[in-house]
Amino acid sequence: MKVYDGSQAAGTEPTERIKVGIAEYDVSVDGAVLTTSGLGSCIGVAIHDEAEGVSGLVHVMLPTAEDVDGGNPAKFADTGVETLVDALEDSGADRSSMTAKIAGGSDMLDFSKNGSGIGARNLTAVRETLESLDIPVVEADVGGDHGRSLRLEGDTGDLIVKSANREEKRL
Amino acid sequence: MKVDIQSLGTFNQLAHEGAQQATASMAQMTGIDAVVDVTKITLVDRADVGDELADQDFVGVQFDFEGELSGRTALVMDRSCSETLTDALLPGDSTQDMAESGVKEIGNIMMSGFIDGWADYLETTIDHSPPTYIEGVGQDIIPPSRGDEGTDQLFVFKSQIEYIEESVEFYIYMLPDYDSLTDLMTTHADTEDDAIPIDKLQVFNRMSQQGTRKAAENVSMMTGIDTEAEVSQISFARIEDVPKQLENSRYVGTVVEFTGVPSGFLLVLFDETSAKNVAEAMMPVEMDGDGLTDQHTAAIEELGNIMTSGFVDGWANVLRTSVDHTPPRLVHDMGQAILDPLAAQVGQHQEHAFIVDSRMRTDDVEFEAEIHALPNEQELREALDALMVERAEETDANPDEIFQ
Repeated sequence: MKVYDGSQAAGTEPTERIKVGIAEYDVSVDGAVLTTSGLGSCIGVAIHDEAEGVSGLVHVMLPTAEDVDGGNPAKFADTGVETLVDALEDSGADRSSMTAKIAGGSDMLDFSKNGSGIGARNLTAVRETLESLDIPVVEADVGGDHGRSLRLEGDTGDLIVKSANREEKRL
Repeated sequence: MKVDIQSLGTFNQLAHEGAQQATASMAQMTGIDAVVDVTKITLVDRADVGDELADQDFVGVQFDFEGELSGRTALVMDRSCSETLTDALLPGDSTQDMAESGVKEIGNIMMSGFIDGWADYLETTIDHSPPTYIEGVGQDIIPPSRGDEGTDQLFVFKSQIEYIEESVEFYIYMLPDYDSLTDLMTTHADTEDDAIPIDKLQVFNRMSQQGTRKAAENVSMMTGIDTEAEVSQISFARIEDVPKQLENSRYVGTVVEFTGVPSGFLLVLFDETSAKNVAEAMMPVEMDGDGLTDQHTAAIEELGNIMTSGFVDGWANVLRTSVDHTPPRLVHDMGQAILDPLAAQVGQHQEHAFIVDSRMRTDDVEFEAEIHALPNEQELREALDALMVERAEETDANPDEIFQ
């Protein structure tokens, strides 16, 4: 969804804001800000190509598409990251100059008794997929037991992480 | 009469795509970009349809439709939203007549798109009446469904659409005639394997209402605040839409995992103001300051525990099984972040989920509590099957009787 942020000073072009929902992704080519909210065990993966000024954000929910038939690729860590990278390349970004920042993957409300919880498994799947695509993870704010909301500044690739009861972080 | 999970999923998708089509038509007409946020099917008491609408002025349009699927549908938006839309359509002209015709025109375009989507899928024609302009406060704007005196619970398809500013939204409600919808679902059912008898789903809804009443009694007993169960409904939505059941503001409450048939998660949640008010009612001493202290959250934890027990006992009584649950875990976080790990855990095995939503309220102090249950779908089906075997007679006669 495109939203115009009225907080900009008069006379300058307002910054477009694009909201990314759960199991969705979007790409910013003109400096638009991408936001996503309410990440628990979900992960927000922000990928930025500094040279081309292209950024993208995907909000993934489950580790791998293998376990489930069909459906929406952006729901899963593995296919979600791949889908976002494809979309970035379609928008002119070059994979060799992409860098990633990730946030989310909390352990809150993890009732699983054996093995690691969904947050941790999401994280592993995201890292493995990025590694297989040769995209380095330059910053991360992951794990813990609290929720997060994200704001990706399309022109700089800065990722701002907000949490309940915590200081805002800029990655 | 049975409804299978597959067709519930298909119908939900259809309603979602219809709403997207409608929203695209509107965007083309007005130049305003919008997205369909959530679409869900809800089984709800006739009197509670539209209960989620805030107590403010709404305007919109309604239609009747006839054909393989028949019923009534309404597009509603709050008044300020309608002004923004009509202004985009007819800049500068804001007389009441123009505003009304603007709403009607937008409604007509949107709802034609919505109905055509259904007709295409069903490979049939669905006729609809000309749009009628409606206005009203809160849920009063929702037109009554037609006929169906035989049932007091209805399936309602609801899409929430948002644009420009997150606070401005509008809704599409579709109220199919009960028989028309259930006939259609039966026709489109692929297999009997995963079918859920509709009357059992209604019993399950009643079960949750009883559970909510029990939980509300426990609150009254513990806090001295006279609390009433308000609404209880069961919805069906895509897993990724489950976390959107909650606002992204902060909630305080408890979460348990329950085991048995069915298994799943149960959440008891308070908004921060309610949490503070209800906790202070439980405490002997006056609290200083505005924030939530450890004493507040400890009181909420205790309350969450006894509300959970009340609710789960309501289920167990009907199912004649024991429903065990883990000790409650205290949560205090953004609403969506609380629900998403639970939706993800359930979503490992299913693409859609049933969500039980209940709410209780009181007039004495500003206080509202929500109970949400997220049962595993396959086990829910088993539980309902067992209910049919053991208590079929009572169930067919009158769902209320089995609680006595």
